[in-house]
Amino acid sequence: MDNKKILICDDDEGILDVLELILEETGHTVIPEQNSLNVRSILDKHSPDLVILDLWMPVLSGDQLLSMIRNSPSYSNLPVIIISASTDGQEIAMNHRASAFIAKPFDYENLISVVNKFLD
Amino acid sequence: MNTFQKGKFLFSGTSTTESLELLTKALDASISGIILTDNNQPDNPIVYCNVAFEKMTGYDRNEIIGHNCRFLQADDRNQKERDILKKAIHEGTECTVDIRNYKKDGDLFWNELYMAPVKNSSGEVTHFIGVQNDITLRKKAEQDLRQQKAFMEKKVEERTLALRDSEAFLTSIIETVREGLLVLDPDFTVLSANNHFIKTFKVTTEETVGRELYALGNNQWDIPKLRELLVKILPTNNPVVDFEVEHDFPHIGRKLMLLNAYRIELEGSYKDQILLAIEDITDRKEIERRKDDFLSIASHELKTPLTTIKGYMQVLQKNVPQNAPEKFNTTLEKISQYIDRLNNLISELLDVSRIQTGNIELHEASIDFDKMVSEVIEGIQASAHNHRIVLKGQTGETVLADESHIIQVLNNLLSNAIKYGPDSELVEVHISNVSEYVKVSVKDFGVGMNAEDKKRVFERFFRGTEVQKRFPGMGIGLYVCDQIIKNHKGTLWVESEKGQGSTFSFTLPKNGKGANNG
Repeated sequence: MDNKKILICDDDEGILDVLELILEETGHTVIPEQNSLNVRSILDKHSPDLVILDLWMPVLSGDQLLSMIRNSPSYSNLPVIIISASTDGQEIAMNHRASAFIAKPFDYENLISVVNKFLD
Repeated sequence: MNTFQKGKFLFSGTSTTESLELLTKALDASISGIILTDNNQPDNPIVYCNVAFEKMTGYDRNEIIGHNCRFLQADDRNQKERDILKKAIHEGTECTVDIRNYKKDGDLFWNELYMAPVKNSSGEVTHFIGVQNDITLRKKAEQDLRQQKAFMEKKVEERTLALRDSEAFLTSIIETVREGLLVLDPDFTVLSANNHFIKTFKVTTEETVGRELYALGNNQWDIPKLRELLVKILPTNNPVVDFEVEHDFPHIGRKLMLLNAYRIELEGSYKDQILLAIEDITDRKEIERRKDDFLSIASHELKTPLTTIKGYMQVLQKNVPQNAPEKFNTTLEKISQYIDRLNNLISELLDVSRIQTGNIELHEASIDFDKMVSEVIEGIQASAHNHRIVLKGQTGETVLADESHIIQVLNNLLSNAIKYGPDSELVEVHISNVSEYVKVSVKDFGVGMNAEDKKRVFERFFRGTEVQKRFPGMGIGLYVCDQIIKNHKGTLWVESEKGQGSTFSFTLPKNGKGANNG
């Protein structure tokens, strides 16, 4: 399996940590980021193969980031998974053309299988 | 023609005596009582009375000849009619009076008395004739009529008063209700507006009553939705109930109004008038929205640390050391279950709140029904190691419904079947086509329930008496399921015997939004 880069952005430190723990099991490189304002520069710097975004984040929300990604010529096709505890999370994710949606709390196996779907 | 002339008195060519006898018999044959009094004698004594008079008064002629007529009045001497009679006698003129007289036995009778003078050839009044008719019955009828009339007038007055009271009462109600009320004529001209309407829309009665509804307050009521309601819907679908209209009103800003309208179909002067009730629900909706927002945020914030805990938990479970004691694994497994339960509780609370405010939106889409059921069963089976879930039947149908909601119902029914059947191994799911519906039955062989609990099992926060202590729960799941199925215009019900297990079944219209929508 090729080593791929996964960018995770969630403002909650605990969730960021546990996602990193789990996704490291896949053998891919995980880039955790707590501040959504930094996502743009990380994209440019590291060119991740997959992005996982939380929805409710201060200043720049997940859906805003997703819109930005979809509207940018360089990243419009980048797989983006939205992961959220919000009740209307799925709806928002689909409306913003997310590649997939995972509800919080997520299931370990499910998370890994969804992630692998976009990386294999 | 005068029949007594020049000493001759003849009717039919016989003698005067015969004619006189004929005249006397004729008078006796009359139905009216007739008397003659002699004006030339003191006190005008009676000199003649006919048989009818005897019958009418009960007196024999022998008892009254020579008496003045006034004995007929007995002690009832203050009648004003006496003055009329006195005057007529004094002036020698005729008169008619209705006078109270008394029979020999004392009974009152009303006497319609016609009295006229009889004059001799010199024009002097020699006698008076009195013609009497007993008009007691007529008088009684008249009196009854008068009484009846007086009674009716009194009643009408009472009723009018009562109506006025009732109108005042209704008016006070109309003026007190916290809802704007308008009465419109069939051309939508305002006939009346209550205080609350005037206050809510910051208008005056003068600029409201008598104006066309749409023209009110610089056309602020010219709302397309309202026109549609009054012109299209109301005549065909009487009445209109809870119609929401959002509109920007000049004085009061953007408001959400709840309209109820009713067209009077009764024949009569109110026919086709329209009652329009307007309730400003802007604030209420805003409060509901804030409550929903609060619960959404609360649920999100509660789930965030829960996600972390669950994540770490799963990492632990994946990294259990080879030589770890069995207790270690079972403890981790139990923690996982409680985390899931906590998560379900948070979701359920949010569901209940949304159902209560009616804010559950259906996102209907075509679902491969059999596939969805199989997948839900698969999901539940994966974590139900002690139970075997068997799927029977198939529908082969594509159903228009909100998939996530139906999955929630199936998950709930299956989890219940497992939860309340801890000692049984089997859970049966049966799916089938029933007319324009698909039907799902989830049958368990668990504890079942008694008839009392069965009636209340879909109530919010209801917990069965027997299961309350043995099984954890808040009494929300089935309530939410019931509401979801109702929202889909299906039905959810249960058949159960205590100790024999339960079967929960629901139907779902295949074409969505209920069978009525074709």
